[in-house]
Amino acid sequence: MNAPIVQLSNICLGSTGKPILENISLSLDAGHFLGIVGPNGAGKSTLLNIIAGLTAPDSGHVDLFGQCLHRYNRRSLLKQVGFLNQLQEREPRLPMRVRDVVAMGMPDFASPIRWRKLSQQPVMEALALTDMQHLADADFRHLSGGQRQRARIARALVSKPRLLLLDEPSAALDSARQESLFQLLRQQCDDNGMSVIMVEHDIAAISSHVDSVACLNRRIHHHAMRGEQIPEIIWKAMYGEHIRIMSHDSGCIGCGPGGSHA
Amino acid sequence: MPDFLQQFLASPVMRESLQPAFLIALVTASMSVMIMAHRLSFLTVGVSHASLAGMGLALTLSLPLLPAASGFAVLIALLLALMPRSQGISEDAGTGILFAGSMALGIILVSSAPNARVDLFGLLFGNILTITPEDVSWLWLLGGIILAVLMVAARSWWSIAFDSVTAAASGLPVTALRLLLYGIVGLTVILCVKLAGIVLTAGLMILPAACAWFWGRSLFGLWLMSVLFSLTGTLAGLLWSYAYDWPSGASVVLALCGLFIVSWSIYGRVEWLKHHVLKQ
Repeated sequence: MNAPIVQLSNICLGSTGKPILENISLSLDAGHFLGIVGPNGAGKSTLLNIIAGLTAPDSGHVDLFGQCLHRYNRRSLLKQVGFLNQLQEREPRLPMRVRDVVAMGMPDFASPIRWRKLSQQPVMEALALTDMQHLADADFRHLSGGQRQRARIARALVSKPRLLLLDEPSAALDSARQESLFQLLRQQCDDNGMSVIMVEHDIAAISSHVDSVACLNRRIHHHAMRGEQIPEIIWKAMYGEHIRIMSHDSGCIGCGPGGSHA
Repeated sequence: MPDFLQQFLASPVMRESLQPAFLIALVTASMSVMIMAHRLSFLTVGVSHASLAGMGLALTLSLPLLPAASGFAVLIALLLALMPRSQGISEDAGTGILFAGSMALGIILVSSAPNARVDLFGLLFGNILTITPEDVSWLWLLGGIILAVLMVAARSWWSIAFDSVTAAASGLPVTALRLLLYGIVGLTVILCVKLAGIVLTAGLMILPAACAWFWGRSLFGLWLMSVLFSLTGTLAGLLWSYAYDWPSGASVVLALCGLFIVSWSIYGRVEWLKHHVLKQ
């Protein structure tokens, strides 16, 4: 039996009085598309950073591709991981072509010694996936926010990673582009066996594409599989009593027939 | 004009200063791309001024000037990199404090150095025309080290400048690479001191990439343009210096400032034409 792509065991971060993450355990198989939802400050990005080896948990451990993630194997394991950081307010404005931004995601981009020029084929393929190939030679600084985000997504995809970690990838995208992005990710999971963990705020937008949704607010309150309802009590525990629950889509996770949805 | 160039090239002092000046221009232009990308302009000002304390120490203890100053500049640069921001001191405030403190210490040490024949003007504003063969050997060694490290680490540094979090998530040792960058910036500062002095060094380390920033579209293109601007500015500055008997360092920095204004103006004009004429 193949080892899970990601296995989190009892991850804790923060002090006892002020926990950031409490006892997070999660397992993800190849081809699984996981959405993580939760309120602001719930620890979603922190959890993604722990999986990417950027933040060390206070206790518990992270297994990637069947190996325990530690400082000595970090670099080799992370070569198989694509990562999209949350969009920053102040992005650096380096003079670069879009194709060069995407090439930075290739595993040997930063190799100290490289005898051959980087192949442009994977770069153009990744740009085609996000419908950006016509802007390959454009100046990255002159793109719109949405176009820059699509170039950054292509950068995360260019190495064809086994695991893709995305922190609010739909930020700056219009609703049509958001839908195509989620369809693309679903396709990558189904056709290439890529596993995806995606932090998003809007469960309604992602629910018809993901295999499961983890409801996170310091701890995982509920991990709902496709077709499963998320009880109202879970939403209230995560977002507080003031939340209004509305049902609008019987096909989505958390909104099964007769169910409710935030 | 041809007569003037012939006189310039026939001058032994000018001929001997051309090679080290071009070496400095090549190295500083190469590093200036990373300095702009990582927004380390103020750091170069701080490290160059702080290096006066290293020179003061070298004079007081009768140590070789450039090697001692190089060690001190690297130390200051690493100290600035390691200054813990969590303890309430931001990087720019830390640079300002070290800059002022080291400059003050340097002035006191240099003024009370046992060797009375200290060329303080030369230290502050540089003079490539008084370069010695020992200085040239030291410049070649420093230049070689800086360019070798740059060739190995350039793409990693570029990646970190673009997005340090994603670079770390791809497995790059971001902290170690940042320390290396700061250390190499410290070495580059010392390389410039002979040409531009402590006060004007930052000009050599910022202006070439600042001129190229408007036109470059890739790391290699940016580097190439930065080197071309730097070599042009250095040659123009030395020609001015020879023609009007101006200080060499100040002339080179002034020439680079002129190139920046020209580059900026042309870029502004091109952008205006793109938006107002080509769209019609």
